[in-house]
Amino acid sequence: MAKPKGKSLQQRYKYPLPIHPIDYLPSVILHNPVSWVYWAYCFWKATNIPSKRVHIEFEGGVNFPHIVVQDKDDMKYLWKNGFFGTGQLSRSEPTWLERQEGASKERSNDLALEKITERRRIQRLEFKKERVKLEKQLLDLRRNGGNIEQENALLVQEREMLRMFKQRQQEEGLGDNNSVVEESMIEGTAVDHEYVDIESLELMSVEATFLSFALPILDISPKVLLSRLFGPSNDITYGDIHKFITHYVTYHHYRSLGWCVRSGIKFGCDYLLYKRGPPFQHAEFCIMVLDHDKSKDYTWYSSISRVIGGAKKTCVLCYVERLLPEDQIVEYWRTDNFIKLFGSYRVGEVIYKRWIPGKNRD
Amino acid sequence: MTEQLENEVFSQDGTIADSDVEEDELVQDWSQIAKIAKSNGALTIPKRGEKDYEPDGTDVQELLLYKARKELFDTLANSVRGSTVKAQVKALYVADRHGAVVPHARGNFLQTMGKVDFSDGQVWLSFYEFVYLSERGTVTPYWGGQSVAGENNDSLLPLSIEDLYILFKTQHELDNFAVYAHLRRLGFIVNPVSPSDTSFYPNCPSAPRTGVTSIYRAITSMFFLRKNSLFNNIFYKQWHYCFCKYTRTPQIYEKLKLLVPSISVPKTIEDLKGFYGSQQDYAEGQLTLTFNVWKPQTNFKKKHPPLPDYQVVVYNKNQRGAHFPTFDELQNIFRHLDYKFQFLSEVADDEFSWDDHSYIVGKPRSDVIASERKSKDKKDPKTPAKNPSAKKSKKRQLPPHIQQLQRLRNGYSSFLLAVIDNGIISFVRISQADFASENVWYVPPKDGLRKKPFNDRKKRAN
Repeated sequence: MAKPKGKSLQQRYKYPLPIHPIDYLPSVILHNPVSWVYWAYCFWKATNIPSKRVHIEFEGGVNFPHIVVQDKDDMKYLWKNGFFGTGQLSRSEPTWLERQEGASKERSNDLALEKITERRRIQRLEFKKERVKLEKQLLDLRRNGGNIEQENALLVQEREMLRMFKQRQQEEGLGDNNSVVEESMIEGTAVDHEYVDIESLELMSVEATFLSFALPILDISPKVLLSRLFGPSNDITYGDIHKFITHYVTYHHYRSLGWCVRSGIKFGCDYLLYKRGPPFQHAEFCIMVLDHDKSKDYTWYSSISRVIGGAKKTCVLCYVERLLPEDQIVEYWRTDNFIKLFGSYRVGEVIYKRWIPGKNRD
Repeated sequence: MTEQLENEVFSQDGTIADSDVEEDELVQDWSQIAKIAKSNGALTIPKRGEKDYEPDGTDVQELLLYKARKELFDTLANSVRGSTVKAQVKALYVADRHGAVVPHARGNFLQTMGKVDFSDGQVWLSFYEFVYLSERGTVTPYWGGQSVAGENNDSLLPLSIEDLYILFKTQHELDNFAVYAHLRRLGFIVNPVSPSDTSFYPNCPSAPRTGVTSIYRAITSMFFLRKNSLFNNIFYKQWHYCFCKYTRTPQIYEKLKLLVPSISVPKTIEDLKGFYGSQQDYAEGQLTLTFNVWKPQTNFKKKHPPLPDYQVVVYNKNQRGAHFPTFDELQNIFRHLDYKFQFLSEVADDEFSWDDHSYIVGKPRSDVIASERKSKDKKDPKTPAKNPSAKKSKKRQLPPHIQQLQRLRNGYSSFLLAVIDNGIISFVRISQADFASENVWYVPPKDGLRKKPFNDRKKRAN
């Protein structure tokens, strides 16, 4: 499964950013001046800006508007080129429609992430059931007065059986278990009608800002976007925008280094860093955005690091420092000087990791 | 102890896949130990038995529990304790020096502990060492008077462990001792940080130089901000795409990277020297580096120790006024670090030796040790030559993207923060990270280049 899929993934997610490089120029033949002219013409004609801007809508109340993309192609485009946004009815990639159609027709080869997870969970559940069964055997033996040797023999046998069971599960893989999942999903849904796509892609406010301010992708200017999010710039105080600015600065920092940055709420942190994107690898790092001159109670650090450590990720404390006075920042915000605004913050990083003496003795 | 054992047998959470379960301290199986203690047989590492998660109401389980408990008590009851009069080592606490003198010093502990005072030729234990060794029963504590008095063995006043705890002067000292004893018990070699230690830096940071470097830094950072905003002003305007054409994604990334400045981190020896030179004195009430810690080792040179493997900051979370360090405070601790910077030896070439890079009062440690060895004996010239060859074989080259990941995961300089909460000690490793120095963006393969891996695969198949 892994090999062919890996190749198609490479093709599918070829571009890490929604701005594509000009990589379709004709080749230049040295002894043919016509090709030079043609190349120059193509180069002159080419542009990095996508032909169509992505349209966004604001949903929800005034207090916290949701930034939403509804066009189907736009949703796909944003996901494929840098993994922006989250499908409202999916885990991350907006696959609701495909999943519905796939479930009602035949199961497609291209498994959605949600299904893979579901299959894994079912497998694990079956494994646990099996284990309980075997443990019961042991208890019966004890009740009936078996001796230690018998018990040990049974334990060895048990362990072997569990190992076999697990192996069998892995070999079956796509086979039987999968169909169980599919059938359970089909139940209750009608097979023969058309689905209307009701899913839309929701963007985090930092993502929308990145796509509007840093890259010209959205059909909204950063000024309008931020005034929709935070109200008219004339009655802004520094306290209103501080959190957003530090989070955006962090987001931009990691995006610009090539990380795929997504929300880290599932691990109790601010951001997750994926090396290329969620379909390729698990996230390596969890980012917590902090003010450089503040400190929290130790319990706070301890709890997030335990959660993150439990998911085998590395906890990074990202401290953001303001280099200019508050008035200056507010002034920049009012005059829409976002370049200077975001540029006047500095980022410093520290890795926080539990250290166990017994494991570091060599 | 019994409680611990019961936990072992009736542990509740075995089904939850918690990665930390394995990391917690191992509880030993006493049945094996009891056997070993009695028969004095070959020493093996005791193994843990199968775990029962809850009482199942059978006699078998009750019996197992009873047996385990009995073996534990047997072990405790049968172990030899105390010392014979002949082997007893007395340590006399002297109040003025807040330490203890050992008149007839002998024992293994002298390998890593104690210091000879050359004015009186006596072995002195620091207060932490004194309490720790007394608790272990290695030395027997006595009251030695206010100042060093003549030794009249008959009228010495013995001290109990409770007495020793009265002698602690501050809560802070007690906290430090808790960390000291904890690490010691686990086999580490621990000493307080002092200015006379072996240092990574040939000379101490001097005050005037710090002023110059900080000014220099301020100017360069200003320049950095200016320069960036110039580039940025163009990039973030949309019309610039009309005449700026990017043929590769990294070009766009490089432009995006210019917006947010980040704090860079020392990565080379030169960087570290500059960074160390820029240190400031700790502010009032700030956490400071307290202990140097070495991994357990057999030939530890007490007089000229190698660079420590770790440095520890002790932080009592319940102490009033203490807080988890802010970023600036962390940075200042990083500036004071003076230990075996592990990340240096990972990138360095084979000839890199820590002894050439550690200095004892300005002299390289390798020279000091060599000259000492010469004066001591000339029989053993082979041993120093052996070490580097052993190191070479250890090193293996990993592919660059994995090396990069390791650099990101491990960070650069680091220290240990020992957090104390009502006597419970937990450790945190805090290290400097520098994501800005590593680009991880994906470069899409050009059409012409895509054939290459394909060919490679073919070759391998043949």
